[in-house]
Amino acid sequence: MQEHRALPGGRAILERLISLREGSIIVVTVIVAVYFSANTSTFFTGSNFETLLPYFAPLAILGAGEVFVLILGEVDLSIGAMYMFAPIVFYKLDTAGLGLVPSIILSMLICMAVGAITGSFVAILGVSSFVTSLGMLFGFEGLSLILSHGTPVATPGAQVHSTIVQVHHVVNGHSITLPEKVNHVGTFAKIFGAGIYSELIWAIAIVLILQVVLTFTRWGLYTVAIGSNKLGAAEAGVKVKLVTIRNFVLAALLAGLVGVFEAIRSQTIQPDPSGPNELLLIAIAGAVIGGTLLSGGSGTVVGAFIGALFLGILKDGLILQGVNANYLLFYTGIAIIVAMTANVYVARARRGHSGSG
Amino acid sequence: MADAAAPQTGVVGPTSAPDDVLRVEHIAKRFGPVTALKDVNLHLKQGEVLGLLGDNGAGKSTLIKIICGFQKADAGKMWLRGEPYEPKSVDDARAHGIETVYQDLALIDELSVYHNLFLRKERVHRPVPLLSNRQMKREARAALDDIGINIPRIDVAVARLSGGQRQAIAVARTVNSDADILLLDEPLAAMGAKEGAQILDLVARLKDEGRVSIIMILHNYVHVLQACDRVSMIQDGAIALDKPTAETSVEELTDIVVNEYRRAREEAHRAEAEAASGGAAASGGAAASEGASGA
Repeated sequence: MQEHRALPGGRAILERLISLREGSIIVVTVIVAVYFSANTSTFFTGSNFETLLPYFAPLAILGAGEVFVLILGEVDLSIGAMYMFAPIVFYKLDTAGLGLVPSIILSMLICMAVGAITGSFVAILGVSSFVTSLGMLFGFEGLSLILSHGTPVATPGAQVHSTIVQVHHVVNGHSITLPEKVNHVGTFAKIFGAGIYSELIWAIAIVLILQVVLTFTRWGLYTVAIGSNKLGAAEAGVKVKLVTIRNFVLAALLAGLVGVFEAIRSQTIQPDPSGPNELLLIAIAGAVIGGTLLSGGSGTVVGAFIGALFLGILKDGLILQGVNANYLLFYTGIAIIVAMTANVYVARARRGHSGSG
Repeated sequence: MADAAAPQTGVVGPTSAPDDVLRVEHIAKRFGPVTALKDVNLHLKQGEVLGLLGDNGAGKSTLIKIICGFQKADAGKMWLRGEPYEPKSVDDARAHGIETVYQDLALIDELSVYHNLFLRKERVHRPVPLLSNRQMKREARAALDDIGINIPRIDVAVARLSGGQRQAIAVARTVNSDADILLLDEPLAAMGAKEGAQILDLVARLKDEGRVSIIMILHNYVHVLQACDRVSMIQDGAIALDKPTAETSVEELTDIVVNEYRRAREEAHRAEAEAASGGAAASGGAAASEGASGA
């Protein structure tokens, strides 16, 4: 009813931005990016973007799946296990002679089946999602260790081939030819994580598609409905169990996919639960500081993407500034709390704002 | 033993009329140790508005939830337009033309007014099934105008509406459908006099159109006599009265409730007395309390 959208001045744009769920984290991310650009000579460079991206893209994909579970008012910790489990299954299937692409597809289907089990415990048996997914986390990380005997292996399809090519150089007017070594990775590896921008492209595509699913499809509508009023949604005829299980399947699938990407990018499958455990918590943190409520009923996939970007920029920027490695986790912790507090205040200001939805 | 002057508060057996759209016979439902419905018999005629009365906990809402497919009865049978009717889900009941306004409204606070109106009946594009928000907004606006409910903005979250507006949205959701049987569980609960009158007007208009048949849970006897053709009263998990509203009065309805209260109080007294006098003197205690009630 208040018409304060008529002429978007600078202040109006800022107000509009703040009124978005993702608004506060966008502002915070820009501030942090500007700070590091001004204070380091290397932040705003192409080569840094190449080092920053591999860190944040997997978080963004993990976060996208997690958002669907968080909006339900549940949480899925088992994404860490799927991240670790999928590449090992992929390796086993490939070494059994299935071929690269069928192995990826089948390993993803297995992750989805595991997600369906987690979701069924929550939706049908009514076990708390925190406890169920924690059990699945330990269980499948354990199974990964058993299957892999705890030994790292080379990721199938990610081998680097080196070839020697003759390169012509012109030195002081003389043409000389020198042999140079060039590294290649296969097309398969380039697509599934090894290409510099491969994971970023996957992340952007997945985030955009899932944001559309969340905002413009019945699936998204029902997800929000269940998180906002589970009984009411059921009374209206929403199939609560089906949607819940489906969202856990989605989270497990994306976690498995990221696990395989990272294994191909790093060329090795490391059966070590400590990395996945940290990653899953950072992905959840990214989703939450991106504007998704832990209590459910509201959330955004794009927000989780920006939340992941924020955490990526923060880590990268601190490293570039030469911060002692021992301080990194400490600063990350503080940053999460500060970003979250900013969110709470902005959300409160937004609710106080009548009129603009 | 019962006072001759008091109205009979027996249990109404199965009754039916030739133009019944819905018949419910011998429905029973337990929740663990609690018996919500013992033996409920009910029928709803084409185009009729049936008022359902009863105390809190008498089982009204449970009955509604069984008819609309949200819960399953432990025993009993239902017929819809002469066919056996056993709803497997809310969607199934909806497919049979039954829409419900729940006591808790089943509104989704985080969703907009129009998304709430179309929940489970979303309009989507073809062939890619994306939500057609524009179409839903347009239809929602038209439906609300048609019903005569004034909601200034339909793209805001339902959480921002007043209690009465929320109630109106919940009612509008059922009216804005192809359903020919509406179940309204306390549609006036959160409403002021003016908003309540609007809903009753709407019910009267639907009745005049004659397309839908309505079961409506109400608390206010005046509303029942004003808006309903017939009234059924649930007491203690069974139907204690089933009469056309023209043949009953606020006094009769009140008497039934007062008698039920007296009966329940005497029962409680008797149980207390029995417990106090112990097993050996049980029959003596019961006799004493009977004597007291006769005096």
